[in-house]
Amino acid sequence: MVKPPNIPRGKIYVLLTILSWFCLLLVDLVRIFGEINEMEGVVKREITWILEIIFFILLYLFFNNSINKKENNNFLNLIWRAASTGLIATGTSFLIIYFYYILEDTRLSDDPLLRNFFYHVNFALTAIFLISTALLWKHLILYQKNKAVVQQWQAYEVILLISMFFVLINQESFNYGFMFGLIFLIIYGIILSVNLKWIPYLTFKEKWKSILFLAIIVASTIYLLIQLVSYTQKNVHFVNLSENLFLLGLFAFVLIYAVFSFLVTLFNLPTSSVFEQKLTEAISFQKLSQSIQPGENEDQVLDILMDSCMSAAYVDAAWLELYPGQHEEEKTGAIPYQKFISNGERQEIMDLLRRTEPYSDYLKNPADVKIEYLYGKIAHEIYQSVLIIPVRANKRLLGVMFLLKEVKDGFNREMINIISTFVGQTSISIENYRLLNEAIANERYREELEIAQRVQRSLLPSALHHNNCFEIDGFSAAADEVGGDYYETFRFDKDNFALIIGDVSGKGTSAAFNMSQMKGVFHSLVQLNFSPREFLAKANSALSRCLEKNNFITTTYYTVNTGEKLIHFARAGHCPTLYYNHKEQSSRFLDIKGMGLGIVRNDTYEQYLEEGTLHYHPGDIMVMYTDGVVEAKNNKGEEFGYGNLRDLLDSLQGLPAQEIRERIIQEVYTFVGKETLPDDDYSLLVIKFKA
Amino acid sequence: MLSINKAPERDHLVITLNGEVDASNSVELDEVIQEAIAENASKILVDGNRLEYISSAGLGVFMSYLEDFNEKQVTFVIFGLNEKILNVFHILGLDQLISIKSTKEEAERALYEA
Repeated sequence: MVKPPNIPRGKIYVLLTILSWFCLLLVDLVRIFGEINEMEGVVKREITWILEIIFFILLYLFFNNSINKKENNNFLNLIWRAASTGLIATGTSFLIIYFYYILEDTRLSDDPLLRNFFYHVNFALTAIFLISTALLWKHLILYQKNKAVVQQWQAYEVILLISMFFVLINQESFNYGFMFGLIFLIIYGIILSVNLKWIPYLTFKEKWKSILFLAIIVASTIYLLIQLVSYTQKNVHFVNLSENLFLLGLFAFVLIYAVFSFLVTLFNLPTSSVFEQKLTEAISFQKLSQSIQPGENEDQVLDILMDSCMSAAYVDAAWLELYPGQHEEEKTGAIPYQKFISNGERQEIMDLLRRTEPYSDYLKNPADVKIEYLYGKIAHEIYQSVLIIPVRANKRLLGVMFLLKEVKDGFNREMINIISTFVGQTSISIENYRLLNEAIANERYREELEIAQRVQRSLLPSALHHNNCFEIDGFSAAADEVGGDYYETFRFDKDNFALIIGDVSGKGTSAAFNMSQMKGVFHSLVQLNFSPREFLAKANSALSRCLEKNNFITTTYYTVNTGEKLIHFARAGHCPTLYYNHKEQSSRFLDIKGMGLGIVRNDTYEQYLEEGTLHYHPGDIMVMYTDGVVEAKNNKGEEFGYGNLRDLLDSLQGLPAQEIRERIIQEVYTFVGKETLPDDDYSLLVIKFKA
Repeated sequence: MLSINKAPERDHLVITLNGEVDASNSVELDEVIQEAIAENASKILVDGNRLEYISSAGLGVFMSYLEDFNEKQVTFVIFGLNEKILNVFHILGLDQLISIKSTKEEAERALYEA
């Protein structure tokens, strides 16, 4: 198609349409002028017809184009457009009549040329009205279209096109062929006119409006038809434009569809509220399904639930009793939602329900999972029927909804079904919301723990102090993200070292906090170079002031002098050190008297402590561990035990410290088994003396 | 699992522990001892014959009442602990502070002769 790029198609159509109309007018005026002056055959009447056909086609194209552009038009707007076009056409026609009424006795009123001019104006407006309305009907017919309807309409358009050219064959006479064509078009119009799917979607108010508009359209159509036909009869000198199959066919179609729509809309009025009800239910359902956004609360959903249920079942009064938190045993819940009912009335009905079977049984135990709903009549002066329906989330009773109606047997199966669906959907929404919130909280908690884990890991030493006289290797694993085990070394000078291993009572975060206190105590006291017994007494004194009443710390503190090959140690309630004596080729536990830190919180503490002294020899091994190692349980509930540990060390004594440590941990893990999760912190420190 | 039973016998109170005491249920043990103190019991006997395990949190409960027992002149005796649990008490040093007996008779004797 050739078209200038910057001129919109609509404007071209307008221009061409107006042009074709002027041509038509001109040609016809020339013809009439010729007729009056008895000049035969100046312009053939076929030219009129052809121009008329062109005018119709251009109009059709223009309206098709302009209506398609405004696809978001609602039904009422479409009908209003048709009605307003009809009003304009009718109004113009009245104006012309009024104009002739003024001119009544002048010569001008008899002038056939002027009369023909107005006839053409009327004709043009009628054609505009018919074609635009027919295309608006097309929109309505094709609402919720299927393939069959689309094909029907396309066929109709082809038939209309053919009918335009019928005039060329038929030569303007009103014969059987014409009649047959017209009847065919009318029947086809009727078939198309049963497509009225748009009507139920109008609200009650919109239906009234559309009835009014449709009445206007019907009236205008009938008037224009009569008026156009009357021209043919009144005038002697006359160009007949109306005896066109296309035009009459369109008249029929526009009229039939308008009448059908009018009647159907009218008869739809009484059932309109039912359809609206269903639509509201669908919307309520959708609202309930949308999960609550994080940060919002459940109240909104419960509020929507109440409103939806009330409108679905035409409920007169309702309230929702919520059971707060975990305390289901508290029978009296909060009442956040109470609609169209006073506190007094609610109490009155509640008392009534508590006295009436079967409600009384249910209300005694509202958490009963078996009951989905309860309904029936009540003996109340205002309210005659009641529906009690529990709202659950995660299988837990969230609340109970009470719906009341003033009529007897007010709840039918459909209403209960839809209310149950609403309640179900609400439960899902609330469950989702809670799960989401939990997930967010857990995520936050996990992040915090990760930080704690990082901080705590930095509390354990990455390198352990030692010299050439001994090897040392350590390991620690926490059962939870953070643990309460602790070990550390300190070097006084090239021959003197301090070692500590400790275990804080409990596990997890609280243990981790206490462990960091222990680290602080170690670092402040170790520099003062106390004997182990003194060290522990001072540590006890310090920790007694900061540990919680039922918390304690077990620890063993060692000082090692590699120059004199001497070890001093004291045990504060910690697992006895395992010591391998190379000369004797056997291990034993260094069980000396001791007392956990924080158990005795006064000066008498020191008297519960002993201090041990050892002379070590090359090849001797010292294994320090926490109770997690010896108390590690397998899936039978058996503990790894002291005996196992001792025997294991005997068998590993030839290996270097690191390997001994690795093998012990490996053995413990094998003993526990892969399926069992560790339930305590494990720590292990191995020292092997070389010189 | 832990079940605790508290029953008066003659002039004293017997607290029977059945099962395992760990961090999750040490609060229950704490409550029972708290009650006993609130009732002004002056002689308390703990029957540990069926105690299978005690974690540091459980030991912490006994430990936390030692001062109260001293102040209020409460005689507190544990008996019937199995070897493993006895060892736990011993390692921690609690056996130096709490009177621990092997049989009920011994325990009662300790209670009434002290």
